[in-house]
Amino acid sequence: MTRLLPWLYLAAAFLFIYLPVAALVLFSFQDGGLPVPPFEGPSLRWYADILSDDDVMAALTNSLMVAVASAAVACVLGFLAAYGLARHVLPGSALIRGLLIAPLTVSYLIVGLGLLIVIQRTGLGLSLFTAGIGHVVINLPLCFAIIYASMGAQQQNAERAARDLGADEFRVITLVTLPMLAPALAAAFFLSVTLSWDEFIISFLLTRFDVTLPVEIWSMLRSGLSPRLNAIGSLVFLISVTAVLVLEIFVFRKRRP
Amino acid sequence: MSTGHQRLKGPGFVTPALIWTFAFFVVPFLVMGTMSLATLEGRTLVWGLSLANYAELTEKAYLWRAIMVSLEITLTVTVVSVILAYPLAWIIAYRIPPRWQRLALLLAILPFWTSYVVRSYAWLLVLAREGVVNQTLISMGLISEPITLANTRFATVTGFVHFFVMLLTLTIYANLVQLSPNYRRAAMDLGASAFQTFRHVVLPLTLPGIVTGAFLTFVLCIGDYVTPQILGGNTELTVPQVIMVQLGRRADFPLASALAIVLMAIVTLVYILSARWLRLDRL
Amino acid sequence: MTAPVTLTSLNHWFGDYHALRDITLDTDAGEYVTLLGPSGCGKTTLLSVLGGFIEPTDGTVRIGGRDMTRVPPARRPTTTMFQDYALFPHMSLRDNTAFGLRMAGVALAERHARAHEMLELVGLSHAAASRPHELSGGQRQRVALARALAVRPDVLLLDEPLGALDLKLRRSMQDELKSIQRSIGTTFVHVTHDQEEAMAIADRIVVMNAGRIEDAGTPARIYRQPSTLFAADFMGDMNHIPAQVSDGIATTAFGKLRAPNVPDGAAVLCIRPEALGISGDLDIGAATVTDTSFFGTYVRAHLRLETAPDLKVTAHLPPENPPGPGAQVQMFATTGAVSIFAKGD
Repeated sequence: MTRLLPWLYLAAAFLFIYLPVAALVLFSFQDGGLPVPPFEGPSLRWYADILSDDDVMAALTNSLMVAVASAAVACVLGFLAAYGLARHVLPGSALIRGLLIAPLTVSYLIVGLGLLIVIQRTGLGLSLFTAGIGHVVINLPLCFAIIYASMGAQQQNAERAARDLGADEFRVITLVTLPMLAPALAAAFFLSVTLSWDEFIISFLLTRFDVTLPVEIWSMLRSGLSPRLNAIGSLVFLISVTAVLVLEIFVFRKRRP
Repeated sequence: MSTGHQRLKGPGFVTPALIWTFAFFVVPFLVMGTMSLATLEGRTLVWGLSLANYAELTEKAYLWRAIMVSLEITLTVTVVSVILAYPLAWIIAYRIPPRWQRLALLLAILPFWTSYVVRSYAWLLVLAREGVVNQTLISMGLISEPITLANTRFATVTGFVHFFVMLLTLTIYANLVQLSPNYRRAAMDLGASAFQTFRHVVLPLTLPGIVTGAFLTFVLCIGDYVTPQILGGNTELTVPQVIMVQLGRRADFPLASALAIVLMAIVTLVYILSARWLRLDRL
Repeated sequence: MTAPVTLTSLNHWFGDYHALRDITLDTDAGEYVTLLGPSGCGKTTLLSVLGGFIEPTDGTVRIGGRDMTRVPPARRPTTTMFQDYALFPHMSLRDNTAFGLRMAGVALAERHARAHEMLELVGLSHAAASRPHELSGGQRQRVALARALAVRPDVLLLDEPLGALDLKLRRSMQDELKSIQRSIGTTFVHVTHDQEEAMAIADRIVVMNAGRIEDAGTPARIYRQPSTLFAADFMGDMNHIPAQVSDGIATTAFGKLRAPNVPDGAAVLCIRPEALGISGDLDIGAATVTDTSFFGTYVRAHLRLETAPDLKVTAHLPPENPPGPGAQVQMFATTGAVSIFAKGD
């Protein structure tokens, strides 16, 4: 009995973890109009429905654009900061690190609210661009932390060797530092894409006419349970999971001996 | 290479990130702080150094109530999530053969990567009046009438716990596997039972991981608007929900800002209380 | 507190990998035993079997005459000193040392008194309130010893205990371990890959290779008369001279030798460098010195034998007036220090 207990717990935990996902995906294939038991189907009609819905497709494209662009900016800024802090002696570097990491400990709602107030004061106007700015704010600390943590001594020695052999700083970065950091950069980029891609509250506060997918889903939610929502939700989940699996298979697998 | 040369270059690399953080995080935060000291007269904003918004928090019952509700939910979620996640992390770290551990962990936290909105909606499917749980219980003959699960605090807590069990499993697992197995061997070798080994050795050594995970849970949970809004309905409001109400219906930015500052103060307080064990750099 | 250890026909598999092969060993109570071998030879696996961390696939472990094969570590009269020491970082030295007694339900005052006694034994009683991270490597190692001994085990198992220490500290810890073992009389089983450490410390050396015991005996016997070619090589530098055995007589480039108990066919004649020199009872002919290096107590010379020009031998010569490179020397060996093994042994 005591030998079985861990496995029973594991099974119960997985049931709990996958119950909502299973309900979401299963009833996205519902043939009827309500995503609740009994299951009728399977049918792909709701997928056909959302794929031909211009608003949903526009929101999906917007989400991907914001995610990729903000992740790229966050990675570049994060890399430069990590390189500057790891390779150069700077006054107050502990303070700078703390400042760069600080947005991690503040809820997205507060980050969004602060930006909303400032943007309204400056009369800049809300758009996908402002949502992207917000996403860089929340992803920059992650990118910085991931890249900074992987700039170890081994790397520094390789950089010194390159410098010793006559490479200037630009060539050291492009020929030695960046290739050696590729796994960390990929991890930071994909993590940022995943987080930004399904982030809701900042996008909700900082967009107006063009919206991202989570905001679109939010407005559809007002009309209650619908297999359409299941279909979109399953799609969003599938895309996030793909990003995570790509990261796992192509980046983390390689790091293991 | 001279140090003077280096000193010029370092800031060049750090500056873009610093400017970004300053312009889009520090400045908005300061503006928000100033905003919390302003007042709204009719529909016009009056800048000033008034503590009226903070006074309102204690004077108006629904505001004070929201702070209490947020604290109650967050503490419940944090405690329940730690208690549920620890055994799961333990089983993955110590019962599953090493070559399958990474896969098991990946599977255990895969739904973690779903968006808040989608995940909360999925729980609504499960907990709704016509949802999976009610239908299953009815068909098993355990209940005759559907029970109210959605739009309750229970639903909010369930949705949160689901998310944070996965997060905490990840942090606690990371902590468990980096412990040398010799600690447990040494304890058992010296006569400790499995429980004593856990109580005197493994638990104290994983406390930093637990506290770090619990702190993250606290921060993310108390600031979340989506989960209580979708799953809790409007039966009781949390602080983020009240903030959104202020922004939407009344455009009361000063009060919303004051509430945001209160949230941050609570988080800072919790940070100070747990700082002794926090290892944010270990994440 | 001490007990003999008896291992009978131990076999262990990790999946398809045969990690321990027919291990049979009998030690006396109060003996200092070292398990010596290269990494992967099974010595650490054997120690884990003794400690109860691995249940052997086959065979029995008896400690003090009682069958312990399937008894968990907590209920064995053994304790282990781990390679990484595994000191509990959140406990003081006193609490670390008293841990086993606390688990056994010993009252606070008594276990603290015992902890102090043990810390005294290893010279750390002044630091009883410190935490492990405040100590040096050598001090941590002493605390690990005190902790393992505090529960008065019959057998102490040491897993490469000196591996993390620098050479000088290792030497002094060897002496200390041995003197502590003498004073308390507990059976020590000590795993190491360093043959000098094994010789310095052990009453009995067990040489292991590929999961087997190659040889077991006193350091002097294994060094001088190893039972196998592997043991001969592992214990120190060895000259290999090809030979052909027939009817108990070995024929080499420089003459014939008696080789009882060696099967007919190709064989290897082994002579330690210090058994080769300018005097001895076995003439191996003239040789040319190719190079020399000075080691203080001796000069190591590489020589080419006139009778076998392809063969390079190493000899330790007296440090006074050594021959220079190119010099001709008449070489002798001591017959008693020669071992002959069948090739492919």
